[in-house]
Amino acid sequence: MKISDHLRDRLPDYMTMLFTFAAIVLFMDAFHVNTGIIISTGILFWLGNALCEMREIMRRKSFYDTLTERLEGLDKKYLICEMTDEPDFFEGKLLCDILRETGASMCEENLKYRNAAAEFREFIEMWVHEIKLPLSSLQLMVHNTPCENSDKINEQLRRIDGCTDMVLYYARSENAQKDHMILKTSLKKAVTAAAVKNREDLLLRDIALCVRDLGFTVMTDSKWLEFIIGQLMANSIKFISQERSPEISIWAEELPDKIVLHFRDNGIGIPDGDLPRIFEKTFTGENGRSGCRSTGMGLYIVKSLCERLGHNIQVRSQVNLFTEFEIAFEKNDFYYA
Amino acid sequence: MNRIFIVEDDTAVCGELCRLLKSAGYETATPLSFERTVPEILACAPQLVLLDINLPIISGEMILCELRRKSDVPVIMVTAASGSDEVISLGCGADDYITKPYDPSVLLLRIAAVLRRAGKLPMCEKWRDLAVDTAKGSLTRENTEIILTKNEMLIFRQLLSKQGKIVTRDELMTALWDSDEFLGDNALTVNISRLRAKLAEAGYNDAVETRKKQGYILK
Repeated sequence: MKISDHLRDRLPDYMTMLFTFAAIVLFMDAFHVNTGIIISTGILFWLGNALCEMREIMRRKSFYDTLTERLEGLDKKYLICEMTDEPDFFEGKLLCDILRETGASMCEENLKYRNAAAEFREFIEMWVHEIKLPLSSLQLMVHNTPCENSDKINEQLRRIDGCTDMVLYYARSENAQKDHMILKTSLKKAVTAAAVKNREDLLLRDIALCVRDLGFTVMTDSKWLEFIIGQLMANSIKFISQERSPEISIWAEELPDKIVLHFRDNGIGIPDGDLPRIFEKTFTGENGRSGCRSTGMGLYIVKSLCERLGHNIQVRSQVNLFTEFEIAFEKNDFYYA
Repeated sequence: MNRIFIVEDDTAVCGELCRLLKSAGYETATPLSFERTVPEILACAPQLVLLDINLPIISGEMILCELRRKSDVPVIMVTAASGSDEVISLGCGADDYITKPYDPSVLLLRIAAVLRRAGKLPMCEKWRDLAVDTAKGSLTRENTEIILTKNEMLIFRQLLSKQGKIVTRDELMTALWDSDEFLGDNALTVNISRLRAKLAEAGYNDAVETRKKQGYILK
């Protein structure tokens, strides 16, 4: 609160006071009151007024200054009423009551949406679980009763499965629930599991998979990591180059403070202009638009899962040469304790 | 013959599972009700239990815990795609887990692996008059020894486990990839020809028969 602002605000009052005082002086003069009395009355009048005004300014200023200062420091501004001390003047009390009431209503509203989101998420999880049943039956049926279209049907089934997984992990990446379990996980196991899951798509396109130096354990959630690697594979499969025989290399290296998993393909690459944005939601970029069907969700989900797990993911690429993802698993003693 | 007890409440899935396992040479059994699953499993005395985690009345985890108090029969948990069920089920004493939807080849592989680990499948196998030594990677007869590479051994074992029946290329691929041997289609063909040549050299002609578009049979 600036004092000058306050004074400007009070200017009409001061003017009124001045006129009143002038009227009193004129009045007293008309009744031939002693000049000395007029002067002393004047001094007393203005001194008293100034004192009142100063006290008012002081307590307002201290209250509003603390309020704005705390507001600035607050991450969630709507919680300001919790941080405010009860002021000793009427207007301040009124303001506090209003703040408290709006805060409470805001919290209620917030809770309503949070509950709705949690319910929706629960429903999605249930739905994914439910849809996996007919999917399982279909997959088994195709296997048990092969027909000439078996491979094609299987491919479509895998697509459906991939899409439902995407929904599941999207729901998870958006909600801050603790449903991952960070445990010692073998990188090799996770990569093998992802490879076995995607084997048919990789084989169909004759993609060579070169896996080496994966003998590390990292602290992560194995299922999430499998999904992440699977997504990167799906991405590479989508953007293979027609000019050379496709290849995916996966390896890890140990640095003093972290273990880095490298995932590199020799596909069409990503243009420099698109590179910084590929982890953005629904960003498809040049590659996504030209020919290949792309939702722009896969890498966004990968990024948010990595963030949630505390891994750093980065990408490097050169058009028509390669795309390389690097996931860094911090060696944190805290986890191992 | 190994008997597998399937606890799965979705009838369509359950039926297909039975068909899959039967065609792979297992006997199957299912519970009559989901209220007394554990006594039923015990009465059936299977060599392996395939246990779904989401069941009506009693959850799969509860069944597993109860079962573990009375029996150490190998159990493979079937978990949903969500949550950290595996950790819990492995903690409860499951031998392995598999995620829905069932990848048939992976499922069969896991079942065979768990049975082998539990000693329900013979460790030292025989094919015709040859002794199969997986650890050494060799097939031996009195004075003949056929040395197989890791890949050839994996293929041979997979064929041997279903001797006389068709093994699909996908089943072979799954077994290889699951052992971190990420072979391409051509490499698989090459490996099979090499295996065939090695067997022929030792006097076993036409041991591996090709069924076009279906797979291979070890006779």
